[in-house]
Amino acid sequence: MNYEPCVKHKVVRNTVRDFAEAELRPIAHEVDKNSRFPWEVMEKMQGLHYFGLQAPRELGGAGLDTVSYAIVIEELSRVCAGVGLCVTVHNSVALYPLLKFGSPQQIQRLAPDLISGRRIGAFCLTEAGAGSDAGAVETLALPCDEGYLINGTKIFVTNGGVCGLALIFAKTDPDHPRGAPSVLMVEKERPGFSVGEIEDLSGMRCNPVSSLFLEDCLVPPENLLGRRGEGLRIGLSALDTGRLGIAAQAVGIAQGAFEAAVRYAKERQQFGKPIARFQTIQNYLADMATRIDAARMLLYRACAARDQGQPFSAEAAKAKLFCSATAREVCNLAVQIHGGYGYSKEYEVERYYRDAKVTELYEGTSEVQRMVIARDILSAPA
Amino acid sequence: MKLVVFLKQVPAVTEIPWDPASGRLRREKAPGMMNPACRHALEAALILKEQHGGELTAISMGPPAAEEILREALALGADRAVLLSDARLAGADTPATSYTLSLAVRAVCPDCDLLLLGNQTSDSETGQVGPHLAEELDLPSAINVEELKLEGGVLRVKRLCDNFLETLEMDLPALVTINTQGHPPRQVPLGGVEDAFSRGEFLVLDAEDLKADLARVGMAGSAGRIVKVYPAGGERRGELIKGAPKRCVLELLERHGDRLGGYLRKDLGGER
Repeated sequence: MNYEPCVKHKVVRNTVRDFAEAELRPIAHEVDKNSRFPWEVMEKMQGLHYFGLQAPRELGGAGLDTVSYAIVIEELSRVCAGVGLCVTVHNSVALYPLLKFGSPQQIQRLAPDLISGRRIGAFCLTEAGAGSDAGAVETLALPCDEGYLINGTKIFVTNGGVCGLALIFAKTDPDHPRGAPSVLMVEKERPGFSVGEIEDLSGMRCNPVSSLFLEDCLVPPENLLGRRGEGLRIGLSALDTGRLGIAAQAVGIAQGAFEAAVRYAKERQQFGKPIARFQTIQNYLADMATRIDAARMLLYRACAARDQGQPFSAEAAKAKLFCSATAREVCNLAVQIHGGYGYSKEYEVERYYRDAKVTELYEGTSEVQRMVIARDILSAPA
Repeated sequence: MKLVVFLKQVPAVTEIPWDPASGRLRREKAPGMMNPACRHALEAALILKEQHGGELTAISMGPPAAEEILREALALGADRAVLLSDARLAGADTPATSYTLSLAVRAVCPDCDLLLLGNQTSDSETGQVGPHLAEELDLPSAINVEELKLEGGVLRVKRLCDNFLETLEMDLPALVTINTQGHPPRQVPLGGVEDAFSRGEFLVLDAEDLKADLARVGMAGSAGRIVKVYPAGGERRGELIKGAPKRCVLELLERHGDRLGGYLRKDLGGER
């Protein structure tokens, strides 16, 4: 086993870090304060393959392996977690399901716009009554002669306010309420598709998370992804990959907060010396660095398993569980090290603190991750 | 046309980690990055390649870690990358470095049309390798170039000299060093990174491959020795002018108006 990053992974990291420092650092504070989606940066990212990170080179993607993918998301989130969120959700739970479950015709028709970033993807599972209990979705896609007539409301849709293509989880059999859902792909131009208010959330505020309304929205049969009733399988597959992206986000947020804390501890003087000379602060920094390292290793292990074609659901769940908790703990200590200034919006750590929490909530709460891990433990042969 | 760009990996830190005992840079202590001026030189080379076609070779002398910046060059569009890596090449001063780079040119691109380098590095800041390399290869050179244009086989360059720009014409083959004022570097596309590793042409050459005279390379070939490296230090001798703001400004202009006027390139006399 080689624990050192290979040259390629170093180059990927340097590349994205340079981009993030040049393009995201100057605006990160402002886009959070004003809840503004930075279109001007998105346009630059389109030309650099950020919207097709693991899509094949022949289709115009970057063709990266999963560890490289995690590094991209980590480095973006280290500077601006809301942008990292847009990119990971687009790649993992919108583009990836299309490439894996889509027919050649669907891929030819819909993938180029996603890979180029002309359309941003969104994944729509959650409803008011269906969060962790994904089987409780009520959105109905009624089969009819022209295709499927969709009615329902999806909430907490990441990228909702800017998405060009939405993957909608809906029941296709009204007689079986908890029957297996299907996935319908809906372009934003379809009549009956509309975006609700942008949510007023604590963190990642530059990402336009919103509700999506489907009111007699008709889509043709060729917009069904995979087979009817295959929605759960598609969803779980998407989420396994999505969890790696969220874990990477969490590592990036933790890393950014940690670096800010180290800088501050070296500069801030109290009792005649930099606070970095006090053992309590040193203990905090040591704990933060150790946790971040451990989180990163766990994440890369899950990414490597995916690349090697091995089952990685439990590994991804462990990574997401641990990395998200690490982000919260590290950001808490980062604010603590800053003292009163850590509570002020003039310093960036309070933004990291707000951004960290949601990594324990979306794409499967930490409780759901534990369910996945426990199921894996208990289903193993004795 | 055949282009060669020389790149150097420098420490990506604000404080350079020197080993006080040997006077050598402790590169392993800091992550590396492409020297900023080299990025601009690479950009200038890429633009020329886009405009005139041909082949671009990126060359770097350094430890194995320098592969990172060569792969970046491939990701941006260089056709091949060459790493000159050998423990015997380490610790070279600028003449030894220039000699080694000249051997690389003779080995991989003897008939090249234009060599480009950054005007200076962020870790040494001598600016000497470019012109010295031109001497080794007996080529005309222009340093500190801000703009360049190739038309009809003639290279027209604008180079920055003190406070004025000078326009020169040069025949090819030639060498130029590029400053950081022009040719803003483009971002590296991630698909390019994948290509750089999956199909990029990457060669490693050692002293034997270069047919180097070992007495002229590395520390052995360096007449210059770094004896001591220390921070410039010095006390800050500031002047504190106290009083009401208007009074302070008047006194400032009284004492230092001429110097301020020089910095601002304005005659402040009439504005007092």
